[in-house]
Amino acid sequence: MKNILLLEDLPEIRTWLKALVMQVFPAAQIVECARVYDALAQVSAQKFDLALIDLGLPDGTGVDVVSALRESQPEALSVIVTIHDDDDHLFPALQAGAYGYILKEQSRELITEQLQRISQGEPPLSPSIARKVIAYFAAQAKPQANALPHVQLTERESEVLLRVAKGFTLPEIGVQLGLSRHTIADYVKQIYRKLNVSSRAEAALEAQRLGLFGRR
Amino acid sequence: MRAHQCQQSMPCRQTPRLRLWWAWLTTLLLACSASAGAQTLVFTQAQAVAADTEYFPDLPQVRTLALPDDWAVSRPDQSGPVWYRLSFDAEALRASGELLALYIERACSAVAIRLNGKLVHLSGRLTEPVSRNCQRPQLVALPVAWMQPRNNLLDLKVMGFPLHQVASRQRAGGLSAVEIGPYAALANKHSWRTVVSIRMPEVISGSLLLVGCLIFTMGWLNRAQSFLAYYGALLIGWALVLSRQWVADMPWPNSSSEFLLAILASFVTLAAVQFLLRYGGERRRWVDVGLPAQCAVMPLTLMVMGTQHLHAMATFWYVVLAVEVGAAALLYLRKLWLLRRSQFWPMATLAALMGLAALVEFTAQQLGVDLRIVAAAQIIPPLLFVALGLRMVQQYGRALQDAQHDRAELERRVQEASAQIERNFAQLADLKVEQVTQQERKRIAADLHDDLGAKLLTIVHTSDNERISTLAREALEEMRLSVRGLTGKPVPLVNALGDWRAEFVLRLSQAGVDGSWHAPADDDVRQLLSARAFVQTTRVLREAVSNIIKHSGASRCTVRCTIAEGDFQVVIQDNGKGIPMELDGRLDRGHGMASMKHRAKQLQGQCLVESGPGYGTVIRLTIPLDRHLASV
Repeated sequence: MKNILLLEDLPEIRTWLKALVMQVFPAAQIVECARVYDALAQVSAQKFDLALIDLGLPDGTGVDVVSALRESQPEALSVIVTIHDDDDHLFPALQAGAYGYILKEQSRELITEQLQRISQGEPPLSPSIARKVIAYFAAQAKPQANALPHVQLTERESEVLLRVAKGFTLPEIGVQLGLSRHTIADYVKQIYRKLNVSSRAEAALEAQRLGLFGRR
Repeated sequence: MRAHQCQQSMPCRQTPRLRLWWAWLTTLLLACSASAGAQTLVFTQAQAVAADTEYFPDLPQVRTLALPDDWAVSRPDQSGPVWYRLSFDAEALRASGELLALYIERACSAVAIRLNGKLVHLSGRLTEPVSRNCQRPQLVALPVAWMQPRNNLLDLKVMGFPLHQVASRQRAGGLSAVEIGPYAALANKHSWRTVVSIRMPEVISGSLLLVGCLIFTMGWLNRAQSFLAYYGALLIGWALVLSRQWVADMPWPNSSSEFLLAILASFVTLAAVQFLLRYGGERRRWVDVGLPAQCAVMPLTLMVMGTQHLHAMATFWYVVLAVEVGAAALLYLRKLWLLRRSQFWPMATLAALMGLAALVEFTAQQLGVDLRIVAAAQIIPPLLFVALGLRMVQQYGRALQDAQHDRAELERRVQEASAQIERNFAQLADLKVEQVTQQERKRIAADLHDDLGAKLLTIVHTSDNERISTLAREALEEMRLSVRGLTGKPVPLVNALGDWRAEFVLRLSQAGVDGSWHAPADDDVRQLLSARAFVQTTRVLREAVSNIIKHSGASRCTVRCTIAEGDFQVVIQDNGKGIPMELDGRLDRGHGMASMKHRAKQLQGQCLVESGPGYGTVIRLTIPLDRHLASV
């Protein structure tokens, strides 16, 4: 992790987060922003490896930054840092391409551990998020009038999702399916990627339908 | 047609009554003829001479001829009175002692009768305007005082018109057979004849007039059914035409009457043709104009041709009019055949009967047919008219009923639609209220998150005091849960179990406690949990797990969830050192026990805690599952 973007509007929280990040990734360069506008400018200016993005910002929502990052720098990891833990807020961010989420009020140790895990390639997945993903892909699988072939989950991925929805942790699922923890984490990453791809395709189709593309 | 129907169906009350009627009639007729035949003198010959004198003239032209005498045959050009002389002996007749009478069936068009030179009877005016008594039978009581035993002279002066001056044959001058006999018997005959020739046409005229006026008014008021007006006019016209048979005295000369009758005929034709056309649903502009024009032209031609050629012109015009009506009738029948075949045969029968009557009339005009057949033929059209008129009234009534029914139906539909609209509106209003409420809640939640959450978060991360940070953190979690309880929809119990399991396992593993979770299989769990119940249960679970992690020092923790008898039960067991006892032997009320019990009570459930040193702690939480929440 060399370049890290930090987007948070509350100054105290920003300070605290920066301290935490510096502890986890001592060698990294941290860029701080307090507004979506600034963050978007930064995204187009330089390359980032990791971005910690707050959702509720004064001039917009962090989801826009996530999409911008995903479009221009697909290798960057976007992590949502938020108060909200409900899927109504988190799901759109995941659809936009976020890699994971961290709840702000947790203790230092917990957040550190979560950050480390994310950077090692183990994005978190809660049961409610898993349920939403299942519902989303089920809706996509219905025969619709869209011309694009929809993205589908493999059987394994669906298995993992179902078990997460039931409340099993990733290690437990690994034990149940006879796979390593790393493999399960890979599946989760795949799921998130497919979610993003599918969501973007859906959005593009919708925009095309509404005739937005032609207006360039 | 009625008789035909009777034959087909089962016991029909009509047939025996009809037969009885016929039997009675025949006996009466026989009785009449029997009594008449007894002592009646029938004159079949008379001496006749054409002269316009007060008494029987003594002229050399006197000839004997046979009675009945039809002038169209014997003297076609005769246009003046003709004298007939009959002589008879009164002895045989006077012997019976009864009153004697003279009966003449037909004396066209007026007759003066002298018995032995004395005037005994005058049927009407013999000078212009001549009384029109062609159809009226004459019955004269002969005073016995004026009769001689032998050789009584009966002089009849008959005033009539030649055929070519009248419009129809029945009006041509003539004298029928003369009968002398007992008054009673002849009176019978006379009354019968009067009924048939005079009374019936009067009655028919009257009823046709009434029905015609009724139907005409119906048609006049309802312009959409103009055929009714024409039908009414047809009936009225026919009634007027029929009146020629019983109206005796007109204030104008005979030629004028004939003239008027001819015009009436054209008027009747107009009504008939228009009726037929419109009843069939058609309307021709040229007909609308042509028929009234014909009504004007016909009298003109008759006037032009003069009274001498009245019969010829009238016959010609009658043929033309008959052809017009016939054509209209055929057109109408053709339309029926094409569109409404069920009604074709009745109407065709009607038309055929009318045609038959017309044919009989025509032959009577040209050849001179027995009066009784002509009378019978003349009754048929009025009967048909009345029948058809009644049918049209029935149709009219039916149409009115249908219109009313349709209107009632329409009103009902409008009511239904209104009720539907009201229901939809109520539904929409409900949805709207729910939508607004939901939006309101979301706004409150967002506000809470933004303001309160941000502040609490700041406290968490900027406070030096660990306890304050923890409290602020817990407060934030509480706030989140509260918002969830506020805005949340009922949660499927399956999902709740999944969420709880994940949190439970994660927290215990982070704290280094060995946790195991037992819950029923997903397929057996179909209930819904209200948002509030979910939130409160989550709090209880978190509280319990926090206690285990912080205070119990346990190394193992087991959670068992069961659903039994509509209740949801969670049992949390650990092998820690237990909750310390108070001095009075009860459990220490700290450690969130009170709040757990309180929360359970709020959900109409209960929370039991058992604890003891070396025994660990067992928390039993039971909450009822809402029955009114629909199952998944």
